[in-house]
Amino acid sequence: MGEVLVITSGKGGVGKTTTTANIGSSLAMLGKKVVVIDADIGLRNLDVVLGLENRIVYDIVDVVEGVCRLKQALIRDKRFEGLYLLPAAQTKEKTAISPEQMQKLCNELKEMYDYVLVDCPAGIEQGFKNAIAGANKAIVVTTPEISAVRDADRIIGLLEASELRNPSLIINRIRIDMVKKGDMMNIEDMTDILAIDLLGIVPDDEYIVISTNKGEPAVKDDASMAGRAFRNIARRIIGEDVPFMELDINEGFMARLAKLFGLNK
Amino acid sequence: MALKSSIEFKGTKDGLIIHLNEVSDFEYVREQLIKKLEMARNFFAGAKVAAIEGRSLTENEEKEIIDIINNRFGMVMVEKNNNSIEKEDIFKGLDEGHTKFLRWTLRSGSKIEFKGNVVVMGDVNPGAEIIAHGNIVVMGALRGVAHAGANGNTKAFVAAIKLQPTQLRIANYIARAPDRNYYKPEYPEIAFINEDMIIIEPYLTKNR
Repeated sequence: MGEVLVITSGKGGVGKTTTTANIGSSLAMLGKKVVVIDADIGLRNLDVVLGLENRIVYDIVDVVEGVCRLKQALIRDKRFEGLYLLPAAQTKEKTAISPEQMQKLCNELKEMYDYVLVDCPAGIEQGFKNAIAGANKAIVVTTPEISAVRDADRIIGLLEASELRNPSLIINRIRIDMVKKGDMMNIEDMTDILAIDLLGIVPDDEYIVISTNKGEPAVKDDASMAGRAFRNIARRIIGEDVPFMELDINEGFMARLAKLFGLNK
Repeated sequence: MALKSSIEFKGTKDGLIIHLNEVSDFEYVREQLIKKLEMARNFFAGAKVAAIEGRSLTENEEKEIIDIINNRFGMVMVEKNNNSIEKEDIFKGLDEGHTKFLRWTLRSGSKIEFKGNVVVMGDVNPGAEIIAHGNIVVMGALRGVAHAGANGNTKAFVAAIKLQPTQLRIANYIARAPDRNYYKPEYPEIAFINEDMIIIEPYLTKNR
């Protein structure tokens, strides 16, 4: 029997959908059977990020309302063997499904798949309650901003209140150069406040923008730092012990040369 | 307009409480009150009235109502003594009194209100709030808002292993974190009121 992981953050725009798409793809690359659910009804995005938008016929609301069978709504990703998407409805609202229905759906899916990843909408209202209803575990995504950390903290509190204890943390879009200059919150500041297990640190990476626009998860590209970080996260999820990535190595050749000659401060 | 709900009488051990409807206009309420009292004039004569509740009355309106019940119907309005009630309410158990122990971290969005002392066996994160009538002790980092002595006890204190609150209030004094120079305390600290100011100092057991 599989596991249902909800990916949530509270604040919008911190990279929940990107994270879901990349972790889902990575898990599939590791040979797992994975389904990613877009729980952001009315503002669906996951299909776009995965490049599967043009294949949607049925969506999650159709499944819940019995318009189609669950299998009919699942879209198979041709690039990643074993990855499936259950898309959200774009023309409905969050209230179109209830937490009980979501729970039933997740239970059904985890019988068939190793991992069920739920992409949670921003906010703490009905959409959030739906998304977490069927989950066994939660992954909280934050960025190194005070507002994002504050919202993540609130979300952790709400998860704990819903019996989803010990969520794990992904810090997204960190820029080590800015952290070093003291212009960005450092990792310790965040783990101090949130006090939950760190699952991964994802560096800020231009390639994510490109990959999102192309609809191709960054994990496919070996050159992408973020892609590599997401692959590591996936390996940690399946229980491998992967050390945290050295984020300092992307210093250019010239910079290293300059350092060698003492030109850098 | 519903006649039934505009006036209600409640009996308490301190006397009658007259509940006036808030929705109807004052003239109507006054008429209804007179009508109702008229219906049972003998019953109400000499009765004690503890309070008039339910709608906010202007000074003149209140006088008018009191005049009606006192003079026209021979009822007695019991004078309430506001000062004595307030004094009694101030929490006095700073050294020995009701205490709430919270054995977890208070995260953003949680709010604790307690009519006594509060001890948190964890952190209080930014966006969380504690309002206590007594002292507040945090066995971790206090980063949120803390209000000790919330109903007026200026002797209350706030102590934390890491005292870095967004805002600190004791009784009716307020202090806030500096806008710049964000600092990380390396030792436990205690905040209290001294000469009309909130003072924060290292908590050293030696000097106590």
